Amino acid sequence: MENFSGSAKNNEVAQCNLVCRVSLLYFARSAELSGVRSETISIPQQLTSLQLWQEIVKRHPRLGTIRDHVILAVRQEYVILGDQLLFLHPGDEIAVIPPISGG
Amino acid sequence: MYKLEDKPKDLIKVTYEKLSTDEVAESVKSPSCGAVSLFIGTTRNNFEEKKVIRLEYEAYISMAEAEIKKICSDIRNKWPMIQHISVHHRLGVVDITEVSVIIAISSPHRNESLDAVKYCITTLKATVPIWKKEVYETEEYTWKENKECQWSQNEQK
Repeated sequence: MENFSGSAKNNEVAQCNLVCRVSLLYFARSAELSGVRSETISIPQQLTSLQLWQEIVKRHPRLGTIRDHVILAVRQEYVILGDQLLFLHPGDEIAVIPPISGG
Repeated sequence: MYKLEDKPKDLIKVTYEKLSTDEVAESVKSPSCGAVSLFIGTTRNNFEEKKVIRLEYEAYISMAEAEIKKICSDIRNKWPMIQHISVHHRLGVVDITEVSVIIAISSPHRNESLDAVKYCITTLKATVPIWKKEVYETEEYTWKENKECQWSQNEQK
């Protein structure tokens, strides 16, 4: 009988204890608040975008002040902070994206 | 049937170098096109009665290039007659009256490229991960937030 507890239902994070190392990039105001432009961290491979944000704030509490006006980019795709489940791979690039002002 | 130089091109550059309007405009000219439409963004010396002395830009460069490429694809879907698109954005310090962004688009007739240029700058302001700091006479500064940006504090609804 298979001992498989890996499937995720809509409201649950999978029973998965795997972690991986990902790159974090900080820009503009978020780089000022964190004090760094880039770093590598170990985080769970599966987590919601909100949980990912919480992992980041744990390491740089001053980032909490921009929580309402920040999104993330995971593998160069924008992700808002919320319930969206992310499946990360080792070496993935994640960026903290304050409100943009190009042009 | 396209000649080699007529194949539609998306020419994207995000750079710390000074921008050249001539270079960007020349790069989109084409024998099949009667129109080149242009947008040039320059640094303004004032904001809400404060004297601005310079802008400083930074970017998530690889993603900015990818997002500009997506805008080019959107443009080609909306206006299939567009020939070439060139978007150059400057990073680092941009002094008053200097150029921070140039968009040039060519099309056989003028309406498509004029509309596409407007769409391009509007969408760039909403989606491309570039940030600018407005630096005042006092050396204080503000990180600007485009009203087009959906997660800004002054989002335009």
